[in-house]
Amino acid sequence: LNIKKKERKDDGGRRPAVGERKAQRTRVVISNTNALNVPDIELMTAEGVVDENNVGKVMALPVTTVDSLRAVGAFKNTQGWKFFRTPSTLIRKETVEMARKLDEAAKGEAIRQVLIGEKKSGKSVLLLQALAHAFMRDWVVINYREARELTMGFTDYAPIPNTDPTRYSQPALTATLLTSIVQANRDILSKLTTALTHNPPVTLPQGTSLLRLAELATNDPDIALPVFHALWSELTYKPPADAPPASQRPPVLLAVDALAHFMRPSAYLSADAQTIHAHDLDLIQHFSSCLSGASALPNGGAVIAAMNNSDVPSAKSLNFALARAEAIQKAKKAEGEAVDVPTWNPYEELDERVFGCFDPAVVEVVRLGGVSKEEARGVMDYWIKSGMCRKEMRSKMVNELWTLSGRGVIGELER
Amino acid sequence: MDALRLPVRLKRPFCAALPKSRAVHLHRNGSTTLPFGETVRSVSTSTSELQTSIGTPLVPYRNEEGGYTLPREARVRIVPASPSYFTGRPNFTDHLLSLQDLLRRNELLPTVPPGQAPRTAWRTLTEYKEGVSEPVKSAGYTKILSILNRLNHINPSLMPSEVREVIETYKRKVSPFDNVPNPHALDSWGRGLGVGRRKTASARAWVVEGEGEVIVNGKSLSEMFGRIHDRESAVFALKATERLDRYNIWALVKGGGTTGQAEALTLAVAKALLIHEPGLKPALRRAGVITRDARKVERKKPGKLKARKMPAWVKR
Repeated sequence: LNIKKKERKDDGGRRPAVGERKAQRTRVVISNTNALNVPDIELMTAEGVVDENNVGKVMALPVTTVDSLRAVGAFKNTQGWKFFRTPSTLIRKETVEMARKLDEAAKGEAIRQVLIGEKKSGKSVLLLQALAHAFMRDWVVINYREARELTMGFTDYAPIPNTDPTRYSQPALTATLLTSIVQANRDILSKLTTALTHNPPVTLPQGTSLLRLAELATNDPDIALPVFHALWSELTYKPPADAPPASQRPPVLLAVDALAHFMRPSAYLSADAQTIHAHDLDLIQHFSSCLSGASALPNGGAVIAAMNNSDVPSAKSLNFALARAEAIQKAKKAEGEAVDVPTWNPYEELDERVFGCFDPAVVEVVRLGGVSKEEARGVMDYWIKSGMCRKEMRSKMVNELWTLSGRGVIGELER
Repeated sequence: MDALRLPVRLKRPFCAALPKSRAVHLHRNGSTTLPFGETVRSVSTSTSELQTSIGTPLVPYRNEEGGYTLPREARVRIVPASPSYFTGRPNFTDHLLSLQDLLRRNELLPTVPPGQAPRTAWRTLTEYKEGVSEPVKSAGYTKILSILNRLNHINPSLMPSEVREVIETYKRKVSPFDNVPNPHALDSWGRGLGVGRRKTASARAWVVEGEGEVIVNGKSLSEMFGRIHDRESAVFALKATERLDRYNIWALVKGGGTTGQAEALTLAVAKALLIHEPGLKPALRRAGVITRDARKVERKKPGKLKARKMPAWVKR
């Protein structure tokens, strides 16, 4: 038995620096020069997405949109972007519906949606398509990325003075969020100017560009939260009809993936070592009030949250609220058909704050299922042309894989 | 008369008294039971058991004094009833010879093509041996069976009654082929129900015409089975016959594990599919989805750690 400590051999190599391995692990690769170029692929446009003739086509994202999407963290390294030449997505029926609703929402009435569905059914990619559509329509896009990053308790946080119940700020995360807002929406923010006066520490003369306002805090986490709120109040400012173009405000898209983390106690602890509810974190409180409709979006826009089904924390109140909202909406659509609306177990405590976020009249629950056979054919055709699938395209193969993937669940189809 | 009928009677192998055919029992009241259940009175107490067992039956006749006496030849010399007496297995030899004879007589009758004769379960070798009380060998009995099979192929409408009678005596008492399962039919909704089992799982599958949708226990195939291999197993009956896009499956499974449930479904779906298209049976059999896999976990035995694993050897 050798219990001596092993001497580490000095192989002369450099040890990885702090954070290097995590960066490697979370690196998102969205293009592959070894993949075949698909010559006849169409470029995704805002008009193209709304056209239902494009359902079943795979469309490439435009380069500028890709940059913006990258900046807001819409691509994930668990998705298969790295196998294809250019990032492209399948236009499915739900994509067209979503894009149309977004276009409606730009006219003033904001929409609020939660995307639910089976594992690998394409919720995150549909969210990405919504973000892409918003970018192409020149909206201001704020993406909270992964909800888990905000609640897992790895970053600094502090109670905000004079708040009851106590709310908490997350300076570093807010600064990161502002950075991504700046990077992704640089063009549109630079064209807009401030119309309101703000309290210190945000000291900027009226008429400064919103880009400048947002950039104030990208390197200064201490003032990140006031800056974020100032930016938000500017974006939700309803200008008079005769205001100059710089004072007009575009619609805003707020988005988050893996919503469940926002709807339960977070991993942060309060001063008396009690768990802090996610809604007591100011950033999350901001999102949930927008989602529930408590905070209005007067210039139109959308709040879209996607659920996740793998590595998901238990959030019973959320699941109940979503199931109830879905059932009520289904009953409304069916008109007269009996639909079972779930009821809460009275012996368990319902998280009222979470439950209150999902008023069935305000928040629409969108369930994603599998793709249709035509859509499956379209995406498999793209895989074959990209050299990912070395089989001949036959309807028999499409039918077979469609069944085996549980009626066209796209992630299962991919396997 | 009895003496004349004897050889014919011997050809029937499974008469009630057949095992006793070589031993005629003497009863104390002086009467004798012959192998075929017919009783005559014994006339001579000097008649040895040996003599009665191997010789022609002693047919007594009435003498002048009004009594009975044995024929003179019988007193002089014992004659075996059958020449097969001198072979090792006289009954078996008799049976074989008589069958050969029967076949020779009916050889020219028209036959049905091979495989189309009525399915018949013959007595097994063990049953036959019990019947004749002789150490018959498998090869010998095969000869009998081949003749019987040939006789069975005679066109049923022209089958002579003697052949039919003989065949009847060689048949098993209970024929497994009479046990025909009830034919299943589609219900009023056009669904075919099949039941399948594997390991400890059991599945019921309703198969209906559709476009390839599968719901198992209320879940989609991908939710139900994480492993693609299991998903393929579950629908293999449809996949192998290229009918995956023509039927929908709605199934309930319980018991067992993932593999067991998937393979129980295989069987259930195959059986349900057969209700829709009975002609697929050979194709499904070739795909291996008709036969129930009877393997189960082997029981643990005392003195062993598992079913077969022996404990490690320990010095004292």
